[in-house]
Amino acid sequence: MRLCNNLERDERGVSEAIGFMLIFTLVIVGIGLVTLYGYPILLQTQTNADERIMEKNMIVLQNDIKSLTYKSVPYKETSLKVGGGFLTVYNTTFNPTPSFTIADLSGPITTFNPGQLQYESVSAQQIITIENGAVITRPMYETGSVMLAEPRWFSDTDPITSKTTSVIYLIGINSTEMMSQAGVGTVRMQLSETNYTEISTPANQVTVTYVPDPANNFSVAWHNYITNSLKWIENPPGTYKLPTTDTLVIKRYDIMIKGL
Amino acid sequence: MARLNDDAQWIVLMGFIVSFSLFFLGIVINQSTVVGQTTAEGVLEFPKNDILDIRSEVLQSSKITVAADFDDVKKDISSIALSRKNAIVSFRVTQAPPGSTYTKIIDIHYNNGVTAYNETTNY
Repeated sequence: MRLCNNLERDERGVSEAIGFMLIFTLVIVGIGLVTLYGYPILLQTQTNADERIMEKNMIVLQNDIKSLTYKSVPYKETSLKVGGGFLTVYNTTFNPTPSFTIADLSGPITTFNPGQLQYESVSAQQIITIENGAVITRPMYETGSVMLAEPRWFSDTDPITSKTTSVIYLIGINSTEMMSQAGVGTVRMQLSETNYTEISTPANQVTVTYVPDPANNFSVAWHNYITNSLKWIENPPGTYKLPTTDTLVIKRYDIMIKGL
Repeated sequence: MARLNDDAQWIVLMGFIVSFSLFFLGIVINQSTVVGQTTAEGVLEFPKNDILDIRSEVLQSSKITVAADFDDVKKDISSIALSRKNAIVSFRVTQAPPGSTYTKIIDIHYNNGVTAYNETTNY
């Protein structure tokens, strides 16, 4: 009992200065840790959020393009916030540009330069683009690409007549001048020109050839879409063979970007 | 010797708790900004009115008795559907077998690349 009382009362080893220093050190270490690790994590999350928001924005823009083309809506506008990078229109006359060539055995039917509506994320070093009606993403300084949203190419076998029809949509992004946007803005789009080609008996085999822009190569995404989703056969690389088709329909649309 | 006054240590503790909770709150808020832009796209994509329009036209045209006229109308409906509505449409009208309650059997095929619709109607 006596020992206990002694322990409670004896404060000869307690120093206010050392206690203050201990607590102060803890606070400083805490601030240091947050600055060193917490802040970069927050920045990284912000960058990721910007990128994912832009992925969704691009799909919203693709939906607008779908309305303009498939549903014959004349004009669409969408307000969006472009964070961490720039949204740029590369129109169909921009050089170098990728191209789609559709040909049958009697020769090329049409060659098409799609143009691009492209988001370049400076902070995440990622590119998201709308090319020929598809939303595609790729890392800025590496090869490879992924299709986030597919275009609507399709083949239909009619159960009544047993005839196969293949429909290929070519959707070009056009503008009167090069435009770019960062921050909050409105994308205004208009359907400017449509072209409809129906070839009732093409000289099979019909092929589609994709020639990528070497500086902005989306060939992996197109390869995966065409060979996996459409089940067309690639031979030679970059050229895709349609299954035997009775009617080939090529619908070409020109989307005019009026402003960003 | 001055006695150690530790009455206000909770202030330091609260400082820690508040700053750490703010940090995690920041992460959570950052994550949540991406939510909330999805639309009911699946519903919008379904071409209900297109199919109804085509169906109505087909049922009307099935009353045409002259074969050449019927073929013309059939071609027109298919071409207009393909150029305006981006859908492949074809249909066939056959006579119902004798003794049937109905007079005609109508097959309709519709495909716009997303939605494929096939119908057989006894009319």
